[in-house]
Amino acid sequence: MQRIGTGLLLVACALLSACAEAPSDAIRMGVASAPITLDPRYATDATSARLNRLLYAQLVDFDASARPVAALAQWQQLAPTRYRFRLDPARASFHDGSALTAADVKATYDSVRDPTNDSPHRSSLEMIERIVVIDEHTVDFELSRPDPLFPGYLVIGVLPRKGIEAGHPFDRRPWGSGAFELAAWPVEGLLRLERRADGQLFEFLHVSDSTVRVLKLLRGELDLVQNDLPPELVRYLERQPHIDVRHREGGNFSYVGFNLEDPILADLRVRRAIAHAIDRRVIAWHLLGGETRLAAGLLPPEHWAGVDFDAYRYDPARARSLLAEAGYGAGSPLRLNYRTTSDPLRLRIATVIQRQLHDVGIQVELSSFDWATFYADIKAGRFQLYSLSWVGIKSPDIFRYVFHSTSVPPAGANRGRFQDALVDGLIEAAETAQEPARRARLYQELQKRLLETLPFVPLWYEGQFVAARTDIHGYELSADGDYDSLAQVQRRPAGVREARFAP
Amino acid sequence: MIQFLVSRLLSALVVVFGVVCLVFLLLHLVPGDPVDMMLGESARPADRAALREALGLDRPLLVQLGEYLGGLAQLDLGTSFHSRRPITDMLLERLPATIELAVAGLLVAVLIAFPLGALAAVRKDTPWDQGAMTFSLIGVSVPNFWLGPVLILVFSLWLGWFPVSGRDGIVSLILPAITLGTALAAVLSRMVRSTLLEVLSEDYIRTARAKGLSERQVVIHHGLRNALLPVITLLGLQLGTLLGGAVITETVFSWPGVGKLTVDAILRRDYPVVQASVLLISVTYVVVNVLTDLVYAWVDPRIREARA
Amino acid sequence: MRRAAVPAVILALWLCMALAAPWLPLQPEHISLPDILALPSGEAWLGSDDLGRPILDRLIMGAATSFHVAVWVVLISALVGSLIGTVSAYWGGITDLVIVRVIDIFLAFPGILLAIALAGIMGPGIGNVVVALSVVGWVGFARLARAQVLSLKHRDHVTAAVALGCPSTRIVLRHLVPLIGAPLIVEATFGIAAVVIAEAGLSFLGLGVQPPQASWGNMIRDGARYMLVAPHMVLAPGAALMLVVLAVNLLGDRLRDRLDVRSRVRP
Repeated sequence: MQRIGTGLLLVACALLSACAEAPSDAIRMGVASAPITLDPRYATDATSARLNRLLYAQLVDFDASARPVAALAQWQQLAPTRYRFRLDPARASFHDGSALTAADVKATYDSVRDPTNDSPHRSSLEMIERIVVIDEHTVDFELSRPDPLFPGYLVIGVLPRKGIEAGHPFDRRPWGSGAFELAAWPVEGLLRLERRADGQLFEFLHVSDSTVRVLKLLRGELDLVQNDLPPELVRYLERQPHIDVRHREGGNFSYVGFNLEDPILADLRVRRAIAHAIDRRVIAWHLLGGETRLAAGLLPPEHWAGVDFDAYRYDPARARSLLAEAGYGAGSPLRLNYRTTSDPLRLRIATVIQRQLHDVGIQVELSSFDWATFYADIKAGRFQLYSLSWVGIKSPDIFRYVFHSTSVPPAGANRGRFQDALVDGLIEAAETAQEPARRARLYQELQKRLLETLPFVPLWYEGQFVAARTDIHGYELSADGDYDSLAQVQRRPAGVREARFAP
Repeated sequence: MIQFLVSRLLSALVVVFGVVCLVFLLLHLVPGDPVDMMLGESARPADRAALREALGLDRPLLVQLGEYLGGLAQLDLGTSFHSRRPITDMLLERLPATIELAVAGLLVAVLIAFPLGALAAVRKDTPWDQGAMTFSLIGVSVPNFWLGPVLILVFSLWLGWFPVSGRDGIVSLILPAITLGTALAAVLSRMVRSTLLEVLSEDYIRTARAKGLSERQVVIHHGLRNALLPVITLLGLQLGTLLGGAVITETVFSWPGVGKLTVDAILRRDYPVVQASVLLISVTYVVVNVLTDLVYAWVDPRIREARA
Repeated sequence: MRRAAVPAVILALWLCMALAAPWLPLQPEHISLPDILALPSGEAWLGSDDLGRPILDRLIMGAATSFHVAVWVVLISALVGSLIGTVSAYWGGITDLVIVRVIDIFLAFPGILLAIALAGIMGPGIGNVVVALSVVGWVGFARLARAQVLSLKHRDHVTAAVALGCPSTRIVLRHLVPLIGAPLIVEATFGIAAVVIAEAGLSFLGLGVQPPQASWGNMIRDGARYMLVAPHMVLAPGAALMLVVLAVNLLGDRLRDRLDVRSRVRP
């Protein structure tokens, strides 16, 4: 009996000693979903994309107005279909010390364009015909047709050519030239990166449960938590002495989509009624972060092509009269189905919207599904109403992708089967407009038209927040929820003199 | 005995094959598309079609089954739709965590059940007995997905004794182990009680008492020792409770084991991972059952003689 | 019978809540955003949840859900399972062999795992929960019925009936099934407890009853999310669940003790 006990204890110890040892001075960030792949040619989820921005350098980035700006390279348009990129002479080397050259840029983009590699980003680059290396620091991109938005597509992290050729597993062992490099990735939920400038270690812990994330933050097991928390927990954190919470506006756009092939929803009056029936202000106040802004169009006001109109005011009386006009009332109530994912925050909001529509006489049945089923249904057009968000939209080519009449799935994301000749015309005109100011005006016209025809009801741009322990300094929120400012973050315990730490 | 062994193994193999086919077939009659899951909102259609082809989702069902079985023979459990990693690696990565939790849960269960069951048996029909059995009844009635959060609330949040979740050293194992082990402890304590009662009514116990041994010696050295083997073999059959309970417990505590992987994969429609982990858990269960049967048969002379 | 009083009261309460729910003046879906996470008060005896909905009303709806699922699942599993088990034992031969293998295959899955996999595959909703749990549940009854019938098969009264030329169905229905009734009832009672927990577990994982419909399982899940700031939200449904399951298990225990003597089959 005793021997069995001892044996079990020994086994337990042996197994436990295999646990990863965490260095205590690493700065730890809690993330709601784990990164899937650290190969920028394949990453499509938000967490992987954000981490890749830390690990790799990309040719082009965006400014506060979402205009493409030089990151790794400056460019020059030599001809309508030819762009020359000159790499920044002060650029960082790859993590192994080797220099980043134009050949690496060509190798990276060629491998994304190669159909045998199955990259999900391939079709965003289909207008590239050829990539030509001019010299060590210069590379030309030749297009098959002019596209004024072109440089904005070159946002994929640059990989070393010799790594690509050797078939290096970038997805698990990222090899880039970014400010961070991989230190360890022992298990799925724990990623350790090292900041190249000073060797500071950062850990990204996957904690899907929001309460657990908050508790870990309180206990010091995490130092930073960004977004993905219900507002009650954010308020709770604001009351804690050792936690700093900061907010800022965001650009992620939420909306309620309509299926315009449905006879009920094809009636514009019904759609307008729904837009007037939703009290977005009340939802934003109670259920969303403090910096949430009501939205009128897909692109936020700070975007170079963004809009700032007054959207549909909350007016249940107007909603009711529109419905009456359309032939619905107490005798023949309107019944609709509303699809959402099973994400708790989305569901919470959807439930409130369901109640608000109920208050103007619309009976809404709420269907919540896991992401896969939900997504399949909306692409196949098996829905009446649904709500979703667009995350990290920078380039206005989204309008063609979502609203052009030829973009019905699987060709695009026009899930509502929206057909409007004026919208098609505006999209096409904006694509060929050469002058940036004219382009911006056309996109704004377009968004105004979309607000009149209501293929969707724009809801809001969700605010962002970060909760950090008070000894963490230097973290700035970005508009998209990126982690870029981790490059400047320092841990500075209170009570220790400033002079001890390098600036 | 050999005959018994062989026939038992054969039937186990049939069962395993049935399990594989069942799991494979079920998962393919599903709504939802894993390709969309992998590529996300703004993926282009050309890329989706390419991915679908690469993953082999466009081939006929029987061909896919054949390929799957072939892969199994080489211990290749396929590739995850979600992370594109070989599933064998993913399972091997997460297996230690589940084994740890299962062993710890078992330990907790045994540490609670044996004293409790022994107490109940020795003090049969007294308030001790009733109290112990009520405690056991409560243990079976409390769902682990509620016990877990309550333990976290009290011991992690209010008292701050334990970390909240995740696998981070032996201290983080305690709450999950208690959550997992409680239900098993409840069932086990009843078994210990009834087995011990049977054993204690045997003649050799009377002899031991007559010889003048102390009650404690009688109970522990003669009683429990002989009750141990039947209970342990019954324990093997309760492994199912442990493995099933681990699935939910791992989810509650974000314990990075096979159970959590299974739930995440189910919610993401990651077919190959669900198949592989359900297969792994079921096969483990079958193997343990076979071993348990063998031990039981070896121990119980009636069966041993009958087949010899 | 004083000791039976407490579980009986709890079960009676459960039954009442479940059956009366459609007629009670409940507002389980009444959203009141200013009341989000309100503590128990005169207005809402158990407080309000994360959308200001009264927890007591939702608790009662959850009681109804768990009751209906439990009754349906146990009814279906018991009927189907007992029938299959009885037939398998009675006919013997190849049928028995095949059915035993099938039972073994189903038993190779730890119960809840198969239910989770099935519910995940079929999609959410009460109907699918009932199907998934029935698919998992019939096996226990089948095995029990088969074991019982196997030992009853050679009893004198059965042999007599066969000798008299009784048709098989009559033998099965009149001579075998009534005798296996007692252990089946005990199994069914424990089955109810198991199903209540399983349904809550599935809803907890997001695979069963979908919000905004209330189930104790999804109430626990939502409650756990706000545990830090509003513990009452997770404690109420969990306590209710535990009490009901406890009461059913106690009932099962009592039944087993009382029916044991009469139903024990002597070899």
